[in-house]
Amino acid sequence: MAMRQTPLTCSGHTRPVVDLAFSGVTPYGYFLISACKDGKPMLRQGDTGDWIGTFLGHKGAVWGATLNTDATKAATAAADFTAKVWDAVSGDELITLAHKHIVKSVDFTQDSNYLLTGGQDKLLRIYDLSKPEAEPDVVSGHTSGIKKALWSSDDKQILSADDKTVRLWDRSTMTEVKALNVAMSVSSMEYVPEGQILVITYGKTIAFHSAETLEQIKSFEAPATINSASLHPAKECLVAGGEDFKLYKYDYNTGEELESYKGHFGPIHCVRFSPDGELYASGSEDGTLRLWQTTVGKTYGLWKCVVPEEENAEAAKARTTLPGTAEEEIEELASP
Amino acid sequence: MPVPVGVLRLPRGPEGCSRGFSPTSPRFQALLGGDAVTTTAAAQGARAALRQRYLRGLAAARGRPTRFCLRAGVRVDAVFGAADVDAVAFQVDALQTPLGVQAAALLRCADVLAYSFLLD
Repeated sequence: MAMRQTPLTCSGHTRPVVDLAFSGVTPYGYFLISACKDGKPMLRQGDTGDWIGTFLGHKGAVWGATLNTDATKAATAAADFTAKVWDAVSGDELITLAHKHIVKSVDFTQDSNYLLTGGQDKLLRIYDLSKPEAEPDVVSGHTSGIKKALWSSDDKQILSADDKTVRLWDRSTMTEVKALNVAMSVSSMEYVPEGQILVITYGKTIAFHSAETLEQIKSFEAPATINSASLHPAKECLVAGGEDFKLYKYDYNTGEELESYKGHFGPIHCVRFSPDGELYASGSEDGTLRLWQTTVGKTYGLWKCVVPEEENAEAAKARTTLPGTAEEEIEELASP
Repeated sequence: MPVPVGVLRLPRGPEGCSRGFSPTSPRFQALLGGDAVTTTAAAQGARAALRQRYLRGLAAARGRPTRFCLRAGVRVDAVFGAADVDAVAFQVDALQTPLGVQAAALLRCADVLAYSFLLD
């Protein structure tokens, strides 16, 4: 029986959703944070999309948001020239880090002790969260505004993307290790620790590079300009979304387009797989987040597979065969 | 014909004006403990009192000539009318502008730095 995908729409934001991130799996499930141009990032339960709380405090559009692995802390990057660190359990603002320009990206180290920020002032900053008043370590070199900055290689390296380049930096020496020139403006970047894979999107291209050497592994072309892509944790498939409002699912090994889904009413700005790979979330210009099943029809979260016709057919078959079987068995036993 | 996957319910959305992070959630209780709940109750009481004072202030301003200090050093005089429920905009009457008097206007609260009016 063919099943049709039913996306779950999470409402609440009043402006475009520009970034989203999942936490790791915690004893309380996993969580999702969304960054929005309305300045009010929201925390949601990852598997259901239920709203948990809104982080109030930013005075401008929030361009980037992230959670630490156990979802106890959140960090946000905003157009009010600050990055903020929040208690993700109480919703309280913990630290405000002033910058000289719009901040676009934030990322925690695995131990949550350091925060990496990047933005329009073209500088990468590393803050020691145990000493927030201290000056951050600053890494310069980008020649245009930084769109995304991520820790990599067990927090020993940094990957950062500006308009036309992706750069790899060594954290201890604070120097550039490698740079990759990209043909068109980089729209998104995702780092996959298992396998050290870097997923970057630009134009209609979804490209996969080694996070250690920046060498390209493979790339796929989509039918429309892509704004974000995400690789499944098991690396079986990937999802991507962009300017034509649709979500595309590809086989990672063959590049074959498996599915495409309509649903959003505006361009898709961000797409991410959940940590268990069972669903993926998309954020759009239309102000909504949508959750999509990786395996359509599977019972998970709020999705429940109920197929009435099949259930009735199974029940009917059981009723007609049981008495017949018993008679046949008795005849067999009675025969010499 | 493909059957749409069934859904138990829709994801829950934000609750009114609340910022969420319920102190009664299992995660809150486990990670922040009981102390946080009692201090939160006191903080909630204080917030409620301040909110009530703010709403009374808005009600007191109604019909009074008010001076608004806006961004970029702009100052305008008008008669205070009303505020919307989220204080996103103020409705004013007789707004005095360099182009003349605007009988009725909306001022964006995000642009208002301060406003003052005389009490009798």
